[in-house]
Parts: sequence; C-alpha cells; structure tokens
Amino acid sequence: MKFLTASVAALALLSSSQAFAPAVKPSRIKITQLFAGTKITMPALSSTMKEGKVVSWLKNEGDEIEAGEAIMVVESDKADMDVEAFEDGIIAKIIVQEGEMAPVGEAVALIAADSSEVEAVLAEFNAGGSGGDATSAAAPPAAAPATTAAAAPEVPFSKIDMPALSSTMKEGKVVSWLKSEGDAISAGEAIMVVESDKADMDVEAFEDGFLAAIITQEGESGAVGAPVALIAENESDIPALQAYAATLSGAAPPAAAAAPAAAAPVAAAAPKAAPAAATPAKADGERLFASPLARNRAKELGVDISLVTGTGPEGRITAADVEAVASGEAKVKKPAASASSKPSWTPAAGVVAATPTARALAKKAKLDLATIKGTGEFGRVTADDVLIATGQKEPERKKVVRPGAAVVEMPSGPVAMTGMQKAVSNNMMATMSTPGFQVSRDIEMDNFDALYQNVKGKGISVSALLAKAVALAIEKYPIINSSFSPENGGTIVYKKDINIAMAVAIEGGLITPCLKFANERSVEDLAENWKELVEKARKGGLKPDEYQSGTFSISNMGMFGVTQFGSILPNGTGGILAIGATREVIVPCKQAVLGMKKVKQMTVTLTCDHRQIYGSDAALFLKELANIMENNVNRLTQ
Amino acid sequence: MRILVTSVIALASSAAAFSPITTFRSSVTALEASKCGQYDFDVAIIGCGVGGHGAALHARAQGLETAVFSGADIGGTCVNRGCVPSKALLAASGRVREMKNDEHLKSLGITVDGEVKYDRQGIADHATNLANRVKGNLEASLVGLGVQVIEGRGSLTGNAHEVKDEATGKIYTFKDIILAPGSVPFVPPGITVDEKTVFTSDGALKLPYVPEWVAIVGSGYIGLEFSDVYTALGSEVTFIEAMDNIMPTFDREIAKMAERLLIRDRPIDYRTSVFAAEVIPGIPGEKPVTIKMIDAKTKEHVETIEVDAAMIATGRVPNTKNMGLENRGITVNRGFVAVNEKMEVLTSHDEGATVIPNLYCIGDANGKMMLAHAASAQGISAVENIVGREHVVNHEAIPAACFTHPEIAMVGPTEEQCIERAKAEGWTLGKSQGNFRANSKALAEGEGQGIAKVLFNKDTGKVVAVHIIGLHAADLIQECANAVAAGTTVQELSMMVHTHPTLSEVMDEAFKGAVGMSSH
Repeated sequence: MKFLTASVAALALLSSSQAFAPAVKPSRIKITQLFAGTKITMPALSSTMKEGKVVSWLKNEGDEIEAGEAIMVVESDKADMDVEAFEDGIIAKIIVQEGEMAPVGEAVALIAADSSEVEAVLAEFNAGGSGGDATSAAAPPAAAPATTAAAAPEVPFSKIDMPALSSTMKEGKVVSWLKSEGDAISAGEAIMVVESDKADMDVEAFEDGFLAAIITQEGESGAVGAPVALIAENESDIPALQAYAATLSGAAPPAAAAAPAAAAPVAAAAPKAAPAAATPAKADGERLFASPLARNRAKELGVDISLVTGTGPEGRITAADVEAVASGEAKVKKPAASASSKPSWTPAAGVVAATPTARALAKKAKLDLATIKGTGEFGRVTADDVLIATGQKEPERKKVVRPGAAVVEMPSGPVAMTGMQKAVSNNMMATMSTPGFQVSRDIEMDNFDALYQNVKGKGISVSALLAKAVALAIEKYPIINSSFSPENGGTIVYKKDINIAMAVAIEGGLITPCLKFANERSVEDLAENWKELVEKARKGGLKPDEYQSGTFSISNMGMFGVTQFGSILPNGTGGILAIGATREVIVPCKQAVLGMKKVKQMTVTLTCDHRQIYGSDAALFLKELANIMENNVNRLTQ
Repeated sequence: MRILVTSVIALASSAAAFSPITTFRSSVTALEASKCGQYDFDVAIIGCGVGGHGAALHARAQGLETAVFSGADIGGTCVNRGCVPSKALLAASGRVREMKNDEHLKSLGITVDGEVKYDRQGIADHATNLANRVKGNLEASLVGLGVQVIEGRGSLTGNAHEVKDEATGKIYTFKDIILAPGSVPFVPPGITVDEKTVFTSDGALKLPYVPEWVAIVGSGYIGLEFSDVYTALGSEVTFIEAMDNIMPTFDREIAKMAERLLIRDRPIDYRTSVFAAEVIPGIPGEKPVTIKMIDAKTKEHVETIEVDAAMIATGRVPNTKNMGLENRGITVNRGFVAVNEKMEVLTSHDEGATVIPNLYCIGDANGKMMLAHAASAQGISAVENIVGREHVVNHEAIPAACFTHPEIAMVGPTEEQCIERAKAEGWTLGKSQGNFRANSKALAEGEGQGIAKVLFNKDTGKVVAVHIIGLHAADLIQECANAVAAGTTVQELSMMVHTHPTLSEVMDEAFKGAVGMSSH
C-alpha cells in the first residue's frame, strides 16, 4: 500500500464529492465523528455514483496523515481520483482494502487523532462486530497449517500490495522487480513493473527502506491488494521478514529456499573463479627458473629473461637458451597474456570491470563480480560471463582458428524435426523388432558397365538398370519379395508384384520412390519413370502410392565412393539391397598372363528378415543377381 | 540550372558595361549590383545550415538578391553531422533491433531463421550517403533558385552592410545580413575528445566501431538517440547525467515512461547527479577510456569506470567565434547572440541593449530553440521583417522529436511548466490522455506501449502543450503543433474526424477525452 501508482490518478479533473463543480484540488473525504476516532467514508465522486472501489491506498495503517494530503485513489464511473484527508490523524485501520468496493457513505478506514488512541479505536471497531480481523491477526496455534500467515515479526516493516492500476484490474502480474531483496529503496523510486490490462506501469516506493522479501516473483500474478513484498525499515530486520514472508506466500519458505539457492552459485563460482583471479597475479610474479649463469648472460646480451623458453630440467632456462634467443635461433616467448585474445588490462583501483547488464545480473543472482572471470574487452565481465557463472548459459569455447582459415560454425542445440524426418524416425524405430541379417557379395561389373556405357545415351540410368536386375533376380527367388506376418503364429506373405523402392535423400529428409512392376517393364520405361519420381520427390509431390508400395528396396551409395554398407530393413518388406561403389580390383586369374587380372567390382549387401528368409535364400538370390549382372546383362535391356 | 544561365549573362554584362565598385568584384556580383542599387546584394546569409537555407529560399521567393556564405559546409550540422545522418543510423539499427526481437516477431507470426547480422560499415555508409544526398539536394535548390553560394566563411567587418569572405578576403556589401552560423558540440572542461574513443555526435555519426560498452555523457535527445543506436547494435550503455533526473529536459511523466521503454528494458544503466569530471581517451584494444565521476554538488569523487568509448552529448554551443561580432559592438553570452523577437541582433543580452539595424541572427546561435526547423522558421521570419512585414515566430508552437524506438515528441511546455504557468496566469489546466494500447493500429504493429497527453486551458479550450511517447510520435505531433499555432480548441479538435485505423486516433482519443467524450 505504500505506493504511488504513477500516472493513474487523473490530474485536476476531479469533481467535488457532491456535484460536478470543477475543482483543481482532489476531492476530500467526509470524515464522520465516531467514538475515539473518526471514520473515513466512501465519497460520492459523481452524482451517479452508488458505490466506489478503492483503487489504491496511498497511506498505510499506522501512517500519519495531514489534512489536504491524498490518502487513497478511488475509482468512480468516470475516472480514478485522488481522495484527500480532511483532518490530521493516524490511519488506525483500513477496512476496505485495495480493489474492494464499498457503497457510498460506508466507512473505508478509521482515523485516530493520535497514536495513543489507535488501540482504543481498534478495540471499539472490533467490539463493533467485525471481529474477524482481530482473530486473524492473532498468532496462529503451533499446529496451524503452513498456509496460515505467521505472526508478523516485531520489527518495523510495511507491505507492498498489488496496486490497482486501472478500474478494471482484478489482479496484476509482476513483470519485473527493479530491485532485489536486500536493496535499499527510497521514496519515489520505481521498484517494480506491474502489468495491467491497460499498460505496464512502474510502481514506486512511497517511503525509504529495504526490500526485505519478495512474495510475488517476476511473472507471477497477485490479486489486487494482496501483498507482493515486504519492506524493512532497518536492514538488520531483513532475515526476520524473509522468514515471515515465507509463511505469507504459503509455499515453501522462499527465504529458506532462497538462501541456499543464492549461496549455491557463489560456492560453485568460487572454485572456478579462484584460479582465474590468480592467473594474472601468477603471470606477473611468475617465478623464473633460470640458472645464475643464464641470468648473467641475459643481462650481458640484453635479453629479457622472462621471454626466454627454458629447455633445461623442469623447464629451467639455461645460458644456452638465452644465447639462442639473442642470436635469433630461438623465438622469444610471447608474453603471458597471449593465452587470451583479449588485451591484458588491469583496471584501476576501485573500477568495477563489468558491463551494466553484467552488474545488474550479478546483483540479481547475488554474485560477487570479483569472483567471475571476465571475457569482455579489457577483461571486463559481460552479461554472458554472469549467465555462465549462474549456469543459465553454456560457456562458449573459444575456437582455435588457424591463421587464414575461416571459422567453421557448427550447428548447435535442438532443432525441431520436419514431418518427414519424424516419419523416418518412426519408421526406423518400427524396424527394431525385425530380426535382420546381412549377406554380402562382390559382383564383377565390367559387362554391366559396358552395357551402361552403351545405353546411357538413351537416357537409361544406373538406377533403372539396377532395379531391373534386382527384379529379375527376385523372379527366381520370390521369397526375397515376401514379408512376414504374425498372423496364425506366423505367415509368409508373398507379393505377386515386384515393386522396387529406391532411397532418395532430399532436402530435410529421405524418401523411397518406387518403380512398380520392375520385372515386367522395359528398362527405358523404368528410367523415364524414375526420373519423374525423383523430380516429384524433390518437389514434395509424390503420392503415397508412389513411395509406399515397395516390396523390395535398394539403397545405392556407390556414387559417394562408399565401398560397402548395410541397410536397415523397412517394415513390411523382406529385403533391402545396399549397393557400394564400383571399383577396380586385381583378382587372381589363372588364364591371365601374370596370373591376375584387373576387374571392376561392386560389393552389395542384402539385409533380410530372418523370420521367413534364410541365409541360403539370400545367398542364392545374390548369386542369381551376380549371374544376371556379370553374364546376362542383355536380359536387362530385353 | 538557372544559375548557369544567370552566370553567363552576368559575365556578358560585366564585360559590357558595369564598373565594379571594388576592383576585385566578381562578375556575378557585378550583375547583382545592378539590381541592388548601392549594395552588391539585398541579403547576405552567413551559414548554410537548415536555418540559412530556409532564409535563403524565402529571400529568393521575396525577390531579394541573396548570397549565402556556406563556410564550405552546405547543410550545416543537421544535414552533415546531426539530424539527417543520425536518422539513417536509427533507421538501420532500428531494423536490427526489430529483427532481433524474437518475441515481438513471434507475436506477429514471424520467425527469423539464424542470426540477424549487420555490416557496421554498411550502416555507416548509409548515413554518409544520406547526408551527401540531402546536402546535394540542398545545394541544388539554392543554385536552382538563384542564390549566390559563396564558399568561404563570412565575417562581419567594422562597417555596417559588409561581409568579408574569409576564404578570399573579398568584401561584399548587403542591405541586410542574417547570421546563421549554427553551433558546435559542447565539451565540458576535463574531457578530452579524440573523436575516436571519446567523441561528440560528430564522431559518433561515423560509427567507426561498435563498442562493447559506451558511456554517454548527457541524457538529452542526442544521447538518447545514440543509446538507441548503440544498444540495437549490441553495445551496452551507461548514461552519465549531471542533473538529478535522467532525461531532465523532458516532461517528467514522459521521461518516466521513456525510462521504462528506452532504458530499463535495455542493456543500459545510468548515474545521475554526477559530472564526468575527467574523461581520458583510450586506444581501442589496448587501453580503455577512463571516466572519473564526481558528485554534482559535493564535487567529491564517486566512481571511476573504464569503458570502450565515451560519447559526449552535453549540449551544443554557438559557433559564433571569429566571425567579427565584436567589430560591430556585439557582446555575446556564452557565445549566444542576443536578438529581439523579430530576430534583429541586439548589442548584448543586457537590459537597454539596442538593435543593430539590418542585422539578424537565427538558429542555434541565438539560443532561442536549438532545432533545425526552428532555425528555418526564424530565417523565414527574419526575411519577412526584412521585407517590411512584421513577423514573430511562435516558439511555443514549434514541435520537437526524439527519434528513439518508440519516438518521443512534444510541442509546448512540460506539464510541470504548464502547472506553474496556469497558476501564475490564473487559468485552469486540463489534461487528457490517449493510449497506444487502446489503438488498433498500434496493436496491429504489436507496439501498444505509449501515451499521448494533451494539456489545455480549460477556460479557453486552447491546446497549450502535447507530449507523446509511442510509435511514430514524431509524425503524430504535427497535428498538435498546428493546433497550438492556430489556437484550435479541444472542442474543435474533438469534432475533427481522424482516419481509422491509424495512430492519429491516439490523438483523437485524447482530444475527445478532454471534452468528456469517449472515442471507443
């Protein structure tokens, strides 16, 4: 309550309590004489006003008030208005809290003539019926639930309540605390930013003191009028108030929780910081291991011995080392600061070498800047340095860059997968339950290659030829084209169509366009179809039937120079063939002049589902494939 | 291109008949002499900033033969070292700030993939190019309208009607002389400016590098604009302000809002009530700039900081040295030339000072209002008085703007001054406010922060002052300035129709609110 809600109260547009007579002064409250004290009643701020809301109290209970002093802001149907006291006194009791409504004429607060009468006024008020306040103010029994507020400590303090920043505001969010716990605050100083439905507003302290405990943290909301923080009059009372605040917040005691939390980063930072802080000192006064002779020679030759690299035992500098430097044979050691790319600079006494943001962050985290190693200009502590010290940011390792080489920036951190990438990931996981096995074989490619050289002019691609060859081999061993089904405790599902799917890497994923009926169609037809499919895949225009209908798959990485690899078997199929690069090898050959010959060779690896396809099936299939590609390449173009 | 023709004719004429008054008279002035009787020209304008330019254009419009002594600085401070290039820096850095503001972009449904980068030299070049272009346009308009531009700096001689070209030593004669020498940055004692690590706005506009941490001495509009540029480009800023409040010249309510929008949410901190008593330049990468601060009142040392750069934005002082003022018996005060409201030069600022006939002073040099457009208005006013139509500039109706993001704009006195004035003059002050958060256009831009407050005389309804902080405030202020100038009442303004949906409706809300109407 000890707050000015800056710029809320309308200036000089106030009507008097009874009519609309324009007055520059804020309206004054009618104070009704009542027993020991007086009552402040809800004023009528316009002729149509039936009830009013106390937007904010500018004074707190126990505050002295003077006639003419604005003590609260009341919302009428027209505007928020400052309301002034008519006479001097002390606010003994606030009956209508901020944000609450009261009918016109009803008491909103009690005023005592002086401090000695406060008790009497309160006693009479409590006797008057609404004694609930008195009980709630009493100390709760020891067994009281944690949510009940403990008795306030016997120290002078005040509460900061969530102010009502607009007429429609029911609760407010603390956007940010401009002060940290323990900070000294002075009247008129903005201490927090509160978000209302109209604007974000600075809320100012109304008196000097110390921000003892924050009850409503940044980002949290509080009902209008609910306490958001406690202000201590004396710095020494802060711990007591923090303990009290813990009972107010109803959650885990923030003071108790905050203390270890605050201490932890400091403790964590200390070991890190200690060597850092010691480094320059060590560099300056580093003990030089040099033989007396070396020192004398250095003097004679005018060599700075601190720049000589020692080659003696344990790095001791010998006379020879000095002579080597003097003659130019050995290079001068770079000064100690060379480890850091930033210039070595010792700040003048009393200078805090930290940027404004670093200072603010360190203060908030209750970190001593002196314990943080600075990486900014002139060794200054930057915001990042503080964030690293508090563990809010990963330290950035300085890259070692060779002169003239460009810095390679590696991507870092999580990146959401595209839909296609997610689909690939799911499909791969689904294969985990398949007992796959792999069989490899070399295939001589001279004839195949000769054929390709012959037909590539017609637009026939290697992919089309491979698909055709595989499809023809499958004709002979249809088991390879089958899939396993758990139905009836195990069923082999044969497929009458041979649809060859081939993996294509595209931007952001992987897809397997499919050449249907590859055994039946001409290789020209397959080549043309393949070209279309790849084009469609790149543009993302494949229809499901065009990439989901494969019965057998081929993955070819030969063009990348891969010699051999194994593929993962796609679900719902029996086999996938991984194709390596064609390379020239020397093989034994009795007929050849030297007993060996040079052939083109390719290694293929078949992955199969062992539930229905066995090693011999795989071996026979590969043998047939080799037979077609080595000895019957004409079948491909027939 | 008209000037070329004129020159050719002048050459011909000179050769044919006219005998020059002085032996070194140029051919051009010879022609002018023919038109101006006993003088070479009707009007001389010393200084070619925005003020001098405005005066020259108006003089030509009145048919006066006009010469401008540019001092090799056509465009002056505004165009070359001030308003214009700084707008280029603000435009570019503002974009960087916007594009780096992930949350704001996200609220509009936009994400920027990868880092937003800028080329410092590119931004600096943009500023230089803009200044050169505007300067070129300005020169072209002078030449095109037949103003004689004399390259040298002009100075007064002991004789009335005379101006000496400092470059050539030639003396020209004029019926009337308008002084428009402008101003230069003020550097307080103890501060050493090297224009590299410690610089004024002159050096800052070149944007030679982007420091990690820059101290800005002075939190007026120049300092504030540069803090906007620097923080957008990644620097951290510390303001050093001698007054008790940051942004001391602004309306308090606006300053408080500005503190939240332009300072607190940015990597900026500040010290108030301190002087930067000693500022020692550094060497980039080798030695930081050392700033020793003392308490403004006790003069005791309070803090020393070591920063990468320091910008000195502590105001400007008149550029009136070495222009022969003393030859005409003029006594300046801190460099300022005293003028009456008709812009006629007075012998001094003292009471009883007398008017020096046919001599005027406009712009920063008279200190009435150090704004480019105020100088131009004064220049036009001076010419009006020269041609015999008495004219006085209403400085209360001259708007001003600070081009931060968001902008701040104002016309008329601050609310604090209004309250005092109303009290002293016995009228009732009214106040009404429009909110950007209640404006559809502002919300569409995701820029709902800001207010526009209208201060008016409740007795007459006339607008006294308007202060705006918010999106495009500098554009919104014009309507208000016109209202102040024309004496339009809030009653009249409340009935004027504002385009929907535009930011101008923020003003509509305030005008309507002033007469008890709701705009929404």
